[in-house]
Amino acid sequence: MLLEIENVSVEVEGRLVVQGVSLAVGRGEVHVLLGPNGSGKTTLLRAIMGLPGYRVEGRLLFEGRELNGLKPHERARLGIALMHQNPRPLSVKLSHLAREISRRFGTPLDVLRDFALDSLMEREAFKGFSGGEAKKAELALTILQRPKLAMLDEPDSGVDLESLKVVGRAINRLAEGGAGVLLVTHTGAIIEYLRRVTAAHVIVRGRIVASGDAETMLEAVKRKGYEVLARGGIP
Amino acid sequence: MSFLEKTVDAGSTALYLQRNYEIVRQLLAKGLAERGFILEPLKKAVEREWVRKLLWTALPERDVGLSGAFVYVPPGVSLRAPVSTCFVVSEGAQEVHNVLVVGEGSELVVLSTCTSAGKGSLHAGYTEIFLERGAKLDYVIVHAWAKNTDVVAETGVVVGEGASLNDVYISLRSPRSLRESTRITVRRGGSALASSLYLAGSGSSTLETIVTLEEEGASAEVDSKIVAASGSFVSNPITIEAKAPNTRGHVECRGLQLSPDSVIVTAPALRSARGGAQLTHEAAIGKISEEELAYLMTKGFSEEEAASMLVRGFLELGLKSVPEPLKPQISSILDLMAKFATG
Repeated sequence: MLLEIENVSVEVEGRLVVQGVSLAVGRGEVHVLLGPNGSGKTTLLRAIMGLPGYRVEGRLLFEGRELNGLKPHERARLGIALMHQNPRPLSVKLSHLAREISRRFGTPLDVLRDFALDSLMEREAFKGFSGGEAKKAELALTILQRPKLAMLDEPDSGVDLESLKVVGRAINRLAEGGAGVLLVTHTGAIIEYLRRVTAAHVIVRGRIVASGDAETMLEAVKRKGYEVLARGGIP
Repeated sequence: MSFLEKTVDAGSTALYLQRNYEIVRQLLAKGLAERGFILEPLKKAVEREWVRKLLWTALPERDVGLSGAFVYVPPGVSLRAPVSTCFVVSEGAQEVHNVLVVGEGSELVVLSTCTSAGKGSLHAGYTEIFLERGAKLDYVIVHAWAKNTDVVAETGVVVGEGASLNDVYISLRSPRSLRESTRITVRRGGSALASSLYLAGSGSSTLETIVTLEEEGASAEVDSKIVAASGSFVSNPITIEAKAPNTRGHVECRGLQLSPDSVIVTAPALRSARGGAQLTHEAAIGKISEEELAYLMTKGFSEEEAASMLVRGFLELGLKSVPEPLKPQISSILDLMAKFATG
């Protein structure tokens, strides 16, 4: 198994945001986390990445190795990549960042071709980028890391239809290339562009309240709403 | 041969290298002399009366000898391969006076490097530059000093009618003390872009720029980026003065403090002595953002590597216009600065 999350709870600034989550992601599998705003989806991904300020209890295993105690860059070098939801503007040109990541992970820069980023490359990364531009750029950088596990935080929010197709194609390629994908979505908009989804999990108030195939879960969310599912209304 | 000397040697069309008071190399690409191009020691150049008359007209007069280089580009010549000058002080004090004249409508790229090594204790460099009507000059100065050196560097530039100056000052190792002063006078319709990237280690530095928009239609932009490491004190006064209507000027100073025991003083000043001038300034001092560091760490970079990338980015974004022939050298220099800055 690529990623094993066993009974993980995450505390942020003294507040318990994720509670007792267990989940496993294998190679080539695509797992979708569905949940309302503030349900702990992003926190879970950031905690797996090892970002500072997230206190984790429980076990996080990557290819059987305990992640606790490893810094974010050490986790990245093991093959874990996080596509941030809203990367803040950086005082680094996008071209330089892409070059450095490509050098670090030994990936050719031509993987960026599909994302049509040429007009953005000489700008400060993410500064003044539109929603779609930022998502495409951040996903492109994530793919440059040649991840074994790609954690994608809302790749479909604030994205126009054209960009959504590009993002969907890229995620499909990632999974078909053998990467495990753990994808967070608030609206579920990306799901129809994915060729395969192994499972979808509904997370409400920090707990996974339902898991199943993506279609059923999405339908249940649309029909009953997150709150009903959280009260035990599992389809 | 040092990194800087190698940088100077690579692909230059004309080369002048002086160690202390000795001219080590002086080369001019074939055919240039026949076209009226001059590269020679200033001591020889002042045999021409017109050169003598130019001395100390772009800078306040100092009591300095005639050691240094004279470069003259005749009118209508476009040289995109760089002319390089390099001054090394390795023993005691070195005082130099350089004069550069770019003729009407000519284009030139200059890479000027100054460095100290061994027992070099003082470098005092005075450079006067004259751009005649419609001339275009990319003037890149690179400094790298030893810790035991004191430096005085003064540059005076007269940007003639419709001429344009792109002045880039990069200092990758600061000396014990530095007093750097650039005075630029811009005539009718001329433009000046002056960028400086200064990496300050322990020591005290003053980087002063004074631009005078002398005649109508003159414009100038001054961009300064300072990275202050432990034990550094940097003062950065920048003034743009408009003496004519229909002139434009902008000053931008940014400081990045890498250490709490560093001091940066930015002092942008605008002075308009006539109506119709448009002058603006921006200044900011900050530290490396924790959020940016954390983001870069998720992309596989250690904290030190991430800090180094952010310093490099900060500096690179200060360079609005890099002359094409010098892009590879400047990129390597930025890499070095980022490495030095983060230890």
